[in-house]
Amino acid sequence: MNHVELNLIVSALEGDSNALNELFSQHQKYVFNIMLQLTGDTARADDLTQETFLLAFRKLHGFRCQSSFRTWLSRIAINLFRLEFRRKPKHLSLCLEEIRIPSHQDNPERVVIKSELQWCILHNLQQHLPNKYREVLVLRDLHHLSYKEISEILGWSLSKTKTCLHRARQMFRQQFINNKCKAFADDYLCICEGILEL
Amino acid sequence: MHLRRDIRIMNCRETRALFSEFYDGELNQEIAQAVKGHLAECQECREEFKNLKKSLKILKKLKILEAPRNYVNLKQKH
Repeated sequence: MNHVELNLIVSALEGDSNALNELFSQHQKYVFNIMLQLTGDTARADDLTQETFLLAFRKLHGFRCQSSFRTWLSRIAINLFRLEFRRKPKHLSLCLEEIRIPSHQDNPERVVIKSELQWCILHNLQQHLPNKYREVLVLRDLHHLSYKEISEILGWSLSKTKTCLHRARQMFRQQFINNKCKAFADDYLCICEGILEL
Repeated sequence: MHLRRDIRIMNCRETRALFSEFYDGELNQEIAQAVKGHLAECQECREEFKNLKKSLKILKKLKILEAPRNYVNLKQKH
């Protein structure tokens, strides 16, 4: 933990609301995006981010600086996500395999398709990856956390983190192959029509 | 996995099991060299590794969004 963060935490614990604001503000975007990537649903991500900060605020006095503030906050966020998914199992959405969009250069739907690429990635994360694999993939490949930090957040051994990350990546890749993504198949059927430009 | 002339030799199964850590640069030099050595000789594993990199490149195209509101102020109301 760096000195600036430590000073902010100490001041926040002493009741300095500006320090508290700054400490939490630095992580809003990070927590919201994790929730969005885990749930695939903006409204749920918004609710869960709010819950994370409310809970973090209530628990702050118990923060012992044994990990970085981000690790501590991430653990709260992940636990809330896990609880939410136990309470409300994920909804079923349209499966990628069912979508077919004609492929030719003048297709006016290409504008729409660009935003569909984002949907496609989120959909693969949501519908085809078990929660534990999604968690590790999001933390490592979208937020670039170290194996050690991920282990601390998810409450796993380093070895389990490595194994789950490996399986998560395999599973994620396999879904694109199974769905005949342009990046993997010459006879592609995917919705982005090669805008990936890999 | 076994040693031959100071170089670790790995088969396809062993190599693929290490792809993720190899991609992240988490392997020690000796093992990383062994993975590289296998990839240089095995086209199927090269293809597998290429696909892994492609899929992660796709994943990284997911946009990071701005938070839709200020959660800090909400917290202070409680």
